[in-house]
Amino acid sequence: MRLAFILSEIGSGLRRNLSMVVSVILVTFVSLTFVGAAGMLQMQINQMKGYWYDKVQVAIFLCSEGSTAAGCAGGPVTAEQQESLTGLLESPAVAQYINDFQFESREEAYNHFKDQFSNSPIVDSVTPDQLPASFRINMKDPEKYQIISETFSSQPGVETVIDQRQLLERLFSVMNGASLVAVSIAGVMIVCAILLIATTIRLSAFSRRRETGIMRLVGASKTVIQLPFILEGVIAAVIGAALASATLWAVAHFFLGEFMSQQYPDTAFISSGQTLILAPALIILGGSLAGISSLLTLRRYLRV
Amino acid sequence: MIRFENVTKVYDQKARPALDSVNLEIDRGEFAFLVGASGSGKSTFLRLVLKEDRATSGAVYVAGQNVAKISSWRVPRLRRGIGVVFQDFRLLPQKNVFANVAFAMQVIGKSRSVIRDTVPEVLKTVGLEGKEHRMPHELSGGEQQRVAIARAVVNRPGILLADEPTGNLDPTTSMGIMGILDKINQNGTTVVMATHDDDIVNEMRKRVVELKNGVVIRDEAKALYTSMIPVVGQSRRLKDASGRENLETGQPREEEGQR
Repeated sequence: MRLAFILSEIGSGLRRNLSMVVSVILVTFVSLTFVGAAGMLQMQINQMKGYWYDKVQVAIFLCSEGSTAAGCAGGPVTAEQQESLTGLLESPAVAQYINDFQFESREEAYNHFKDQFSNSPIVDSVTPDQLPASFRINMKDPEKYQIISETFSSQPGVETVIDQRQLLERLFSVMNGASLVAVSIAGVMIVCAILLIATTIRLSAFSRRRETGIMRLVGASKTVIQLPFILEGVIAAVIGAALASATLWAVAHFFLGEFMSQQYPDTAFISSGQTLILAPALIILGGSLAGISSLLTLRRYLRV
Repeated sequence: MIRFENVTKVYDQKARPALDSVNLEIDRGEFAFLVGASGSGKSTFLRLVLKEDRATSGAVYVAGQNVAKISSWRVPRLRRGIGVVFQDFRLLPQKNVFANVAFAMQVIGKSRSVIRDTVPEVLKTVGLEGKEHRMPHELSGGEQQRVAIARAVVNRPGILLADEPTGNLDPTTSMGIMGILDKINQNGTTVVMATHDDDIVNEMRKRVVELKNGVVIRDEAKALYTSMIPVVGQSRRLKDASGRENLETGQPREEEGQR
């Protein structure tokens, strides 16, 4: 009975205050979309970093069947060449610059590739023998990349030496900048949303002061009096958060999944499924912001 | 049922207290009028019983409980034991008669079947049978006040507080309302009614507590609106007022001790 009563109170509150409720929904929607966009950018950065990014700086790719580089004239890398490269990496002249190194076989390369590009159609057209084996080197000082490059580029069996950081760092700094902007906008919008929720709840409490006055007099508990107002704000904010989650999903699905991945097939984009991880976070964030701001407002404007 | 022990209520430090060392006891099942001019402290008295305000000093007991010692989350339970009726009825305009009375039961979580059984019964007590589906604006003032009374007593409170319930009504309608309050009182509910209406007080011949400037200047059983022995009352009143002078200067210190 009490639950039914509270629900009907919420319903009438939402109806009576419809325009304010819609504006709360929209403001939380926009602010949480920006929060989610920042989250998506970070997810995208992690996706592009792939398996090795945080572990190594420099990759020495070894020759495979299709290699056209000068060092690969003798065909795919042989066991002896690989042996001598390992020896060179362990020699004191090189070892002083590196922390450690790992050999990535073609099978391992294929597995890492599959993980990184799991949402891309490219994965079906790639086989282990298309991917080169490599040495992955963790530098003591990433700035010393040049030394490794000079030492190994001309070695037989080496196709190329790549500093992965250099390739991606600039892109990541742009993306990090963008997510910072998104977070700042989200911050302003969230302040806006909190104030708007507070105003809405205040208006709602004011327009129902007769009811709440009588509820107080006949001895309704604080919960029964306050809960409809708090839930009103929370429901509006949760609807906004759900809209934001849907928007992010749509961006990942249609823009990244269908448009961008066609344009840049060699880039690993996040999948629309991954953005759904953001949804509960956004909904909890939206709901708790609304709950807290309505509670604080009611403490000031609704006597119980 | 209601006991005031040396209760003082100060709203504004600079002004005189709204209630000044009031000692009063109203027994279970009693019917008492609270009379006095505007600003004499009648409404403050009712507010203190409801714990809408805290007494500055002294103790207010309601149903044996010191209200100052009731924690805020138990105040609703105190209020469930007290019905209140106002001069301006305070009905919900968008709800019909039945819904207005049922509202008081819904908000404290009574089940639908209990509400369906109880509300018509109470409406019958106040003489509104057959008008369950009228809206408040379709009712006369007297009928609206009856709805308000029905709402106040539907949860069977032990105490009914009425703050000038006949203030907006003509004398005949007022007498009808008084008949209902008397009936409720006869069923065992303690009724305290603040009023200006001398005709009603004279007609009812109940206990009369007269307040003036926050001081009880008369407390008579089966009395009239104005005292039948005005001279004695007058002199006592003067003595009271002078006696309070000294107490009043000591008041602020006492209040600080309270906090």
